[in-house]
Amino acid sequence: MAKYVEVPVGPQHPALHEPIMLRVKLDGEVVEGVDIVTGYNHRGVEKLGEKNSWVRDIYIFSRICGICNAVHAQTYTQGVEKLMGVEPPPRAKYIRTIVMELERIHSHMLINAVMAEAIGFDTLFMLIMRDRERVMHLKEIITGQRVHADIHIIGGVKRDLKPETAEKVLRVLDYIEARLKHYKKVFEEDYTIRKRLEDVGKISKQEALKHSLVGPVLRASGVPSDVRVDDPYSAYDELKPNIVVRHEGDSLARMLLRWDEALESVRLIRAAIKNMPKGNPVPKAIKRAAGKGEVFSRVEAPRGELIYHIVSTGGPKPYRIKVRTPSFNNIVNSGFAYIGERLADVPVILTSFDPCISCTERVLVVDEKKGLRKWVPFMALSRGEIRVA
Amino acid sequence: MTELPSFLSRWGAEEVGPHRLVIRVEKDKLRDAVKDLVSADEMIYLSTMSAVDYPERGVIELNYFFWSVTEKKGIIIKVEVPRDKPEIDTITDILPGANNAELEAHDLFGVVFKGNKSLRRGFLLPPEIVEAGIYPLRKDAKGV
Repeated sequence: MAKYVEVPVGPQHPALHEPIMLRVKLDGEVVEGVDIVTGYNHRGVEKLGEKNSWVRDIYIFSRICGICNAVHAQTYTQGVEKLMGVEPPPRAKYIRTIVMELERIHSHMLINAVMAEAIGFDTLFMLIMRDRERVMHLKEIITGQRVHADIHIIGGVKRDLKPETAEKVLRVLDYIEARLKHYKKVFEEDYTIRKRLEDVGKISKQEALKHSLVGPVLRASGVPSDVRVDDPYSAYDELKPNIVVRHEGDSLARMLLRWDEALESVRLIRAAIKNMPKGNPVPKAIKRAAGKGEVFSRVEAPRGELIYHIVSTGGPKPYRIKVRTPSFNNIVNSGFAYIGERLADVPVILTSFDPCISCTERVLVVDEKKGLRKWVPFMALSRGEIRVA
Repeated sequence: MTELPSFLSRWGAEEVGPHRLVIRVEKDKLRDAVKDLVSADEMIYLSTMSAVDYPERGVIELNYFFWSVTEKKGIIIKVEVPRDKPEIDTITDILPGANNAELEAHDLFGVVFKGNKSLRRGFLLPPEIVEAGIYPLRKDAKGV
């Protein structure tokens, strides 16, 4: 009989989407290894993309994720525009950028709120989610929809940004900026948060690169890699974002980095509104066929580098579209980061990777020596109320 | 400074666009190319590996996309494996970050990565597709 205890964390979590399971092997409280088990929710989006037209696929691929949908639409659309030889008007690029940066702010607020909840700080969760709603509202007044932006079309955007809407955005951003600074301070100074996150799940620079971790996880380990700067798209070559880098590599660094990035996004949106070029961002006609070719299209999603490989053999449909989301690397390849940590830190480390899966409402604790099995809630586990010894 | 430029000329890289370079290698040379690339530039990571099925040519093309953080270049290594015997050596011992990409290509295309111990079907797919022996992203896949 094995000496360790195996604790399956997951796979179902009714509050969020995409299930995953972490099979955690424990020696007492200490994690000896983690198997990441996927395959609960393969939706066959890539195959679906091959069967539908170039234009329909915008809406299929933006529905991969409910949180970062505009970046999926951006990655797909900019790749297809390249294959079709279409250049969107400058004003359209600025509007796309504003929507994507709003998405980054609310995504970073969401995961910090989830982290607060995971460590038992429910009030903070409620407060952050209340303020996040203001950002969602901005997305709604710009795009017409609160969650799915769907503003991208091939060769431009669906609707223009009116001056009075832009003014409203600037007004709300003042409020959001003050709140982001406040929450950053809370995460920096609160004793309990520091106690739970500091030095937990440390990842070195070399480990992060070797295991292909991307986005905030990579930058929190000291690697200055941001697609917006390195491989600029949309209006980022003119707006010049600053890369936020931290060197600690622990869970706290990953969360604080997200607050700094959200503040940087506020600056970018203000600059985009101020420098917005004139002209009509809505194309009169949409191209529906692409020539032969292939393209690797990259975008910095809130969770990190999002990359599409789009292959066209000509005609109205794509030949192959490969989608690699940031979570596919950050979650599946990060099993090594749990080793040596305690069971109660597993949810903290997983949340600090900003999983687009969030899986773990209930946990089955199996004690192999005594043959005991019992279901426990994820929250009890994260608060350290369950002892497996 | 890295030794990336000399790596690129050694392997005959061809520029295909801004920040994009393509290298074509034979499948038994893949490991050498990846080892050489990793030693030429330590700030490099494997971003993704994308498989594309070309039944009329009888091959599955694997596109390894590496990103160099310092040189700001995307390096695409293209390898072709025959469709009737899609086997290639794993690179997970050089770069563990290749594991998810290899598992995905195995599950969806049936490419066998020799030496990858965690290779299994059902990594992404539901059991009924696995049991029917379907590789859904192959162009001739039926029932999906």
